Amino acid sequence: MIRTGFVERNLRILFPLPAVAFVMVMMLFPVLYTLFLSFTNWNLTSGMPLKWVWLRSYGRVFAEPRFLEALGRTIVFTLSAVTLETFLGTTVALVLNREFAGKGLVKLLLLLPLVATPVAVGIVFNLFYDPTIGLANWVLTSLGLAKSNWVSGASTVLPSLILVDVWQWTPMISLIVLAGLAGLSAEPYESARVDGATEAQILRLITLPMAMPTIITAMTLRTVDGLKTFDIIYAMTGGGPGYASETLNILGYKYSFEYFRMGQSSVVLVVLFLVVLAASLGIMKLRGQSEF
Amino acid sequence: MKRGIIARSAFLTIVILAALVLLFPFFWMLSSSFKTQVDIISWPPKFLFSPTLQNYQRVFGEQDFLRYFLNSTIIGISSVGVSLVLGLPAAYSIARFSQKRLSVFILVARLMPGISFLMPWYIIFSRLGLMDSYTALILSHMLIALPVVVWIMSSYFASVPREMEESAMVDGATRQRAFMSIILPLSGPGIVTATTLSFIFSWNNFMFSQVLSMERTKTLPIAVYNFVSYAEVDWGAVMAVAVAIMTPAIILTMIFQKYVVKGLTMGAVKG
Amino acid sequence: MRRKAILALVVALAIVATATAQQKEIRVLLANHPYGDLLKSAIPEFEASSGIKVNLEQYQEGQLSTKLATEFATGSSTVDVFMTRPLQETKMFYKNGWYQPLASYDFADFPKASLGLVSFGSKTYVVPIVTEWQVLYYRIDLLKKAGLAVPTTFADLEAAAKRLNSADVAGFASRGKGNPAVTQMSSFLYNYGGTYLDKGKAVFNSKAALDAIRFYGKMLGTYGPAGVTAMSWDNIMPVFQAGKIAMWTDASVFYSQIVDPAKSQVPAESVGIANFPAGPKGNTPFIVVSWGMAISKKTKSLDAAQTFLAWATSADMAKRALGNQQITVARNSPWLDKAVLAKVNPGLIETRAYAAKNGVPFDRPYMSAVGEARDRIGEVIIESINTKGESANLEKKANDMVVKVNELLEDTGEYGVQ
Repeated sequence: MIRTGFVERNLRILFPLPAVAFVMVMMLFPVLYTLFLSFTNWNLTSGMPLKWVWLRSYGRVFAEPRFLEALGRTIVFTLSAVTLETFLGTTVALVLNREFAGKGLVKLLLLLPLVATPVAVGIVFNLFYDPTIGLANWVLTSLGLAKSNWVSGASTVLPSLILVDVWQWTPMISLIVLAGLAGLSAEPYESARVDGATEAQILRLITLPMAMPTIITAMTLRTVDGLKTFDIIYAMTGGGPGYASETLNILGYKYSFEYFRMGQSSVVLVVLFLVVLAASLGIMKLRGQSEF
Repeated sequence: MKRGIIARSAFLTIVILAALVLLFPFFWMLSSSFKTQVDIISWPPKFLFSPTLQNYQRVFGEQDFLRYFLNSTIIGISSVGVSLVLGLPAAYSIARFSQKRLSVFILVARLMPGISFLMPWYIIFSRLGLMDSYTALILSHMLIALPVVVWIMSSYFASVPREMEESAMVDGATRQRAFMSIILPLSGPGIVTATTLSFIFSWNNFMFSQVLSMERTKTLPIAVYNFVSYAEVDWGAVMAVAVAIMTPAIILTMIFQKYVVKGLTMGAVKG
Repeated sequence: MRRKAILALVVALAIVATATAQQKEIRVLLANHPYGDLLKSAIPEFEASSGIKVNLEQYQEGQLSTKLATEFATGSSTVDVFMTRPLQETKMFYKNGWYQPLASYDFADFPKASLGLVSFGSKTYVVPIVTEWQVLYYRIDLLKKAGLAVPTTFADLEAAAKRLNSADVAGFASRGKGNPAVTQMSSFLYNYGGTYLDKGKAVFNSKAALDAIRFYGKMLGTYGPAGVTAMSWDNIMPVFQAGKIAMWTDASVFYSQIVDPAKSQVPAESVGIANFPAGPKGNTPFIVVSWGMAISKKTKSLDAAQTFLAWATSADMAKRALGNQQITVARNSPWLDKAVLAKVNPGLIETRAYAAKNGVPFDRPYMSAVGEARDRIGEVIIESINTKGESANLEKKANDMVVKVNELLEDTGEYGVQ
């Protein structure tokens, strides 16, 4: 018999242990601390020590119209961005899913937006969107269209930010779906062609259902990151004009680092975490069903 | 035949249009970085202008830009390095022993809003006297890098046939030995993928560095704001900084293109 | 020969200084502000003469605030000396006990009004560095072409804005982005006879205040540049520099930027600066201490910190700042020094003299939770701009926000306290 050593017998515990310990230390304390603070009224502007106030901070945040608007806006922003990205990204992937000269180059181009530093991207787009001197309005007027206020208008700011998100992240969906398509087996296609199916039927009945798990995973990744979008909004509008682009993450940041109301900031962050968690679980469940 | 040509040119048009949309912001950033302030704010926007290097001179001459660059590099490399050391065994264990719950646990780090970490970390790091140290920044960036490493490598290891280490174990090697000498050497492509991606994510991080870094450890994304002052925004310099930040990430991407694509798709496709 | 000797001496001093085992070090946080830049360039002089090593950090103002508050709040800051914005930070920092009282500092050279806000009880906590006051920037060429005189009243201002407004050029600009707009709105408010806070209670829903907010909204909504509700100074300045704004009311600090030919398409001789126009209740524009410098309560090298503070805020440094950089310093003496004034733009000197005599030392509600209060007041301003001052809802909105701001005052125990 081979004598197995201590390490080997406990490999399944010892191997992940350092990583788990690290995540515990770096994450567990912050999570518990945030949870703790959400039940206090810690407020740096008051200069008073923090007090345990049970659910009063929750009450104040929930009663605040700004919070509910930010919650709705976070969901609208993410849903619109992810839907557009999934639709465009899948379309692009289907178009590119063939061999052609320069495919490698196109894939490289697709990578560029998603490795670009978000803060810098935000600043570049700001210059671009400026209503008076920006290129975006020059393009509109050159096409004979009316100027837009882009990120400077309360009604246009969210779509403008979504556009930046779509620019940056559609390529990721394309790349993921493209890889998923490449892995599909050729067999169903052959038999469909033998049966005389049209291209549209093949797309609807074979390609899309088979690629669906991949598409949904890509959507999960984007949804999680979309709900937490920070850098771009912070760099471009800081939540403005007014509160017109204030999402939960931005509101949480403002409560902590501009208003110095740590208790209420923690409430916002706890809610954001729950939203992200619910969204991920929901989509995972969707995926489980699509695999039947 | 004719239909083929139409389809082909339609296809090409779409591809070229998409490429233009993707590239244009980069082009605009690059060209603005060679413009004077007057040219940047001119209307109609200038496509033709006499280029100037003064923005780059300001960025690299007046400011300690090389240090920010070095800081970003040190923090990126170290956080990825340590994440590999911690993450590879964990990923292996997840892949071989199907530890689903464990992988979910590590991935929860991705779900948490980063802001909620900042105050607590600040408290811990300052109590430990680690403020303005690379250690604090490396640890925080590891929370970005580690899930990426685990995510990518666990699906990579799962794709390596079990027979590889089992045959070595039949010959008397321990599992950890087999992991070190058989599996890891086979995992080069996966490791390159995980390294490149997590390095880029660390490189681009703004939120953690914004609160945790100070002058000595300031990273590039924060340094953009060096040119936003109390009474002036130096647009040319800001654009030059943007170019300087993105160039290394883009070069890395070009070199490791295949791996990066794989990394983005691996976890997702294999699920 | 002599220079060489001096150089050798300096080097020798430096060596001695570094060789001393117990060389003092201090950590100094400055803003990205011309005064901060000036200090940064002069630090080697200080290090050579004092033997104290300065570890300098410079941040954009918002980052600086965040950094200071986070460091102080978590209780283990290593900051010794820092730049601070009195109206924004002083009340909160003082209440938390983050400032070291400046007992031995000689404040004789500072205007009384500038010290009021940074003193509590008999102690002063911040040395004022820079003052700002509200002015009217205008395009000399455009006014001349239209045959208009420089507006001196709100009525003139409106008439001029109407004449000068075109598809290509906005007649009038001021900050429209809620939070930053609060400071630039304040002089309008005062000139209508209103104010933000009175005896520790929010009063920006008074008749006078609402008139002012309506006027501000009408001006910006009707004659302002596109997207004005998203614009702070940093968005307005490039548009002005591009020649797309005829008149602009903002703080005096921007003057040197907009007459700099390297940055502006508008020639310097076409840019004028004038006193803020008068309203129905006279003319009392704000003149505030925008920046000051303070020592951290937690400093471990108080002596060195005091030495640095004295040097950085000295009359000599202030003269250099005013004369060479056109920084509008808080001290009195540079403004009385003929040699210095010869190098300063006359427009700055005149408008300062007026504001110093007639102005109000606040440009925002002076309270600890000022950040959030500004956002609240900003909501009212934006509502007014969006409706060109016509909003039927404005009074209700103002009333709602007064309640919110009073709540903030209550949270911090400042409600009803003068």
